[in-house]
Amino acid sequence: MLFAKTALSPYWDLHFFEIFAQIGQRLLLLFQGGGILAADEIQILVLGCISISCGVLGPVLVLKKMTMLANSLAHTILLGLAISFLISRSMFSSTGFDMPHLLFGALIAALLTVFSTYVLTRLFRLQEDASIGLVFTALFALGIVVVTLFTRDVHLSVEVVMGNADALRFEDLVVAADLALMNGLFVLLFFWPLQMSSFDSGQSMMMGNRLNLLQPLLLFLTAASCIGAFRAVGVLLVLSFLVGPFLIARLFFHRLWHLLIVTPAIGIFASLIGVALARHLLSVYGLALSTGGIVSTLIALLYPAARIVSKFSRLKELKSN
Amino acid sequence: MFEYFTDPVLRAPTWGCMLMCLAASLMGVLSFLNKRSLLGEGISHAAYPGVVAGMAVCAIDAADEGSLFFALVGALLFSIIGLWVIDRLEKKGKVHSDAALCFMLASFFGIGTLGASFLQGARPLMAQRVQIYLYGQAATMTDIHIVIYAALSALIVMFLVISYRPMQALCFDRVYAQSLMIVPRYLTIATFVLMLLSIVIGIRSVGVVLMSGMFVAPAVAARQWTDRLSTLLWIAAIIGVASGLLGNILSVEASQKLRIYFPHERLSLPTGPMIVLTGSAIAFLSLLFAPRRGAIPRLVRILSFRVRTVEENILKSVWKSKEISLKDCRACNHLWPPSLIFLLWRMQRQGWMTQAYRRYALTPDGDRKAARIVRLHRLWEVYLADLGWPEESVHRTAEEMEHILTPELEERLAGQLHDPKLDPHAQPIPEHDVVC
Repeated sequence: MLFAKTALSPYWDLHFFEIFAQIGQRLLLLFQGGGILAADEIQILVLGCISISCGVLGPVLVLKKMTMLANSLAHTILLGLAISFLISRSMFSSTGFDMPHLLFGALIAALLTVFSTYVLTRLFRLQEDASIGLVFTALFALGIVVVTLFTRDVHLSVEVVMGNADALRFEDLVVAADLALMNGLFVLLFFWPLQMSSFDSGQSMMMGNRLNLLQPLLLFLTAASCIGAFRAVGVLLVLSFLVGPFLIARLFFHRLWHLLIVTPAIGIFASLIGVALARHLLSVYGLALSTGGIVSTLIALLYPAARIVSKFSRLKELKSN
Repeated sequence: MFEYFTDPVLRAPTWGCMLMCLAASLMGVLSFLNKRSLLGEGISHAAYPGVVAGMAVCAIDAADEGSLFFALVGALLFSIIGLWVIDRLEKKGKVHSDAALCFMLASFFGIGTLGASFLQGARPLMAQRVQIYLYGQAATMTDIHIVIYAALSALIVMFLVISYRPMQALCFDRVYAQSLMIVPRYLTIATFVLMLLSIVIGIRSVGVVLMSGMFVAPAVAARQWTDRLSTLLWIAAIIGVASGLLGNILSVEASQKLRIYFPHERLSLPTGPMIVLTGSAIAFLSLLFAPRRGAIPRLVRILSFRVRTVEENILKSVWKSKEISLKDCRACNHLWPPSLIFLLWRMQRQGWMTQAYRRYALTPDGDRKAARIVRLHRLWEVYLADLGWPEESVHRTAEEMEHILTPELEERLAGQLHDPKLDPHAQPIPEHDVVC
């Protein structure tokens, strides 16, 4: 099935660099109003949108030291989605994967995770790392059981953590674009309070910022982004998009608004190369590799490379001084 | 029930799950006490590409029998690399430990996914075996697994027994232990290696994704029941083994039921989620009901203390004005009316108070009790005044201390103050003989 679909792709059997030329040509064609989106273009666009939505949230999450909470959200969205699916199927008898479903699932997941972690640390006086670990493993295990029992899809629980970029449709692109827009707007609107609370939450509180309103919103959007991304790259590889590009960008840039632009750009760069590489390897060498895995590996390899580059540029600076 | 331990097909999963949970829960206690519970999450994900690599090496050789060994070695190797990467990121890259852990686990899992998809194309059979490691599947274990797991678990238990003392020092005061050189350096390294080993053993039956749950849950549950390290290890081991056993049985039984209800679909509940759910359930129950640290006993203790405080205040106010109407009682105690009425009814039941014509009065019993509280209050006031406390501010502290002072303290206080007759505000202090 995979081969039958991809044989129609305009990127079939091209040299690695020819793929980029082809992208340019087809982009021109699209602007002139002709042609429809090929599967690869949808993949690139979806991954690009994921890069944007994760790239604007990632810096804030890392700076606020909330990445392990994001990790826990990435796991618990499975339960959120399963519950949302169960309720909506019985209420509206629709099985589609659309925006309201997604947001409702994200809301449930974020509420469940954050609330139960909070209850464990505050009311039960459990240390924070243990309460995070206990909550997300329990909820994820519950999610797997619910998904296995009610969707009765044997492959789903594997695809949930791995993702399947080849199964992306146009609807996924709409969802991903909406999420990117939403997260972009969120960061744009709340730039100042976010910046201040990322670097000095005490000062931010003193100046009257409503942290207690901003933080839940941030976590909700993180959960929504994880859900939006999990069909493409799986719940765990989203974390690469959230943390990796920011760590790379931070080696070269030090102002938050620079970082907020560069981080998505690095993610988009990695997804573009990743999809092209996956297509090239499949069509020329017959290697069917997971696109999400390639992109995540690329981000992982980019980091040490960037470290070396930044070290040399700093050495040069020292010498010229 | 016993066939789970003896049946040639069922016994391997049962014993395997129990042994692996034993190892994980013991090492989980150590990382829990070091406040690094989430390290298990990182290490287990880092092991995933190792499993894939091990299987790939196996696939080259086409030797199916050695796949377990290769997967174990690969997982161990990659988890060591993962640990090293976290360390480098934190120390050289100045990345916060949170983000370093997250980046490492996502990257390693990404590499693993890439490798698994490669294996899917090259050797589909091997790739299916790799999928097992994602959520764990105990059902396909054989007796060889038991032997290997038993040996590794025995190694961990022996290590804990031999190095119990220095371990104790390391868990409770790391800096002190290291500065006194109680703890040799190789012990820290050995702890890490064994932690990796316990996770590597576990991922076969619980799976990469949920392994950290088995690392955290028994430790959390056991911590609720004791304050001693040795007891903690024992309880955690028992809880771990129990959840391994129960989870495995649940998974087998549920899968059988599913096969009966949906004969056309090849459904089965993976072992990992069931074991983790059992462990988490035990942990949540312990968090709720453990006698000393549990939330509900604590809530009961807090509530009963507050009820006693309010009751004693009411007794005092009745004692001062001999008899009192409901309205006056409300005025001097500021309580929600229904709870005031309930408390008054409760005090009548206990025989401290009588009610006639809507006015409340004390029984001899209640009178003695109220006098004792007033005595404690005024004694404390005298004591504070004796210490040179300003006389006008002694009342507020005494309001609180009157509920806390014990008979022994009262005796010592009276003795030290030479049994005073009047308090700083020139009010008489009830005699000891009257009170008792």
